[in-house]
Amino acid sequence: MAIINQATKELQVKIVYYGPAMGGKTTNLVQVHDHVQTTAGNKGKLVSLATSSDRTLFFDFLPIEAMTIKGFKTKFQLYTVPGQVIYNTTRQLVLRGVDGIVFVADSQYEKMQENVESFQNLMDNLSSLKQNFAEIPYVLQYNKRDLPNAAPVEYLDFLLNNRDTQVPSFSATAHKCEGVFESLNMITRLLLQKFVNQSVPQYA
Amino acid sequence: MATLPQLIEEDIRHLDKTLRDFIAKADAMVALIIDKGGFLITHAGDAGDFDLTTIGALASGAFMANQTIAGLVNEPNFNSIYQQGEKTSVLAANVDENCILIVIFKAQTGVGVVKYFIPTAVKRIAKQMVAAHKRNPDGGLDLSVMNLADTEGVFRKKEA
Repeated sequence: MAIINQATKELQVKIVYYGPAMGGKTTNLVQVHDHVQTTAGNKGKLVSLATSSDRTLFFDFLPIEAMTIKGFKTKFQLYTVPGQVIYNTTRQLVLRGVDGIVFVADSQYEKMQENVESFQNLMDNLSSLKQNFAEIPYVLQYNKRDLPNAAPVEYLDFLLNNRDTQVPSFSATAHKCEGVFESLNMITRLLLQKFVNQSVPQYA
Repeated sequence: MATLPQLIEEDIRHLDKTLRDFIAKADAMVALIIDKGGFLITHAGDAGDFDLTTIGALASGAFMANQTIAGLVNEPNFNSIYQQGEKTSVLAANVDENCILIVIFKAQTGVGVVKYFIPTAVKRIAKQMVAAHKRNPDGGLDLSVMNLADTEGVFRKKEA
């Protein structure tokens, strides 16, 4: 869970990009890293623990210091998880202490099963960490909208956003930085609003 | 999931003093207390050009991965990991359910002296965390004082 350090006046939150392999999670972080407007020194290095073929092995990590809210420096730590099925233990480790999730789905028709399985895997992993999925803010990002075999957004909504409470979803073409900041700002809004609405914050 | 207690200035002062004492005795360069989720809580010593935020995130991941491996090989007694370098070494030690102590020290210092002094530091840090928790078991900051209505501009894309 997020850390609010009253001594140093810092608010630190952790956002994890989750989704099937090759869906564009790392691309999201690369685009944020390349295009985010920050004052000098407020953007950390993008750290990628990847294989030689650029597949995420452990996680990607990008720390960014955003605006100051009422005197509190807000520090965002953005992580991705490895999407490949075999790295499930690693995904559980990265999910520890998560505050908000961006689920990056691959819009291609042939990836639908992987999308659904990855989403189910996310719920299973949060459950194994004793975190209540219903209490963690998340948004859906339908990536790769520029591909000719992209399924309609309505179909993706039907598969992934068909619960009692629908969450915000965004069409994206991450490699062109389309939909990237929209997703990030929305998850930021949701998780900060969640903190505000908590009568008794769970952490400090 | 258990979470960190609310830390106030007094806690951080105690933690910093513990770290400074430890650094002086163990001849370490930097000591960090990090949350197991990867957040840096506080640090002491000469960090130089070390990127402590990233070190905290990676050390947390490495520690948790090793702890998981220990569990897979039925080893219940997992407390620390040690990275031996030619110039600089790193030792990560478990503090409690939520925290890890990371020590960065010159390789010439030797891990023995670090390991000798680290249990005392770990105990003092854990004790302070317990005290913080007891002070306010359900505590937290009232974030409602913050104006979070408009978060559209938290992350802005650079103009092309």
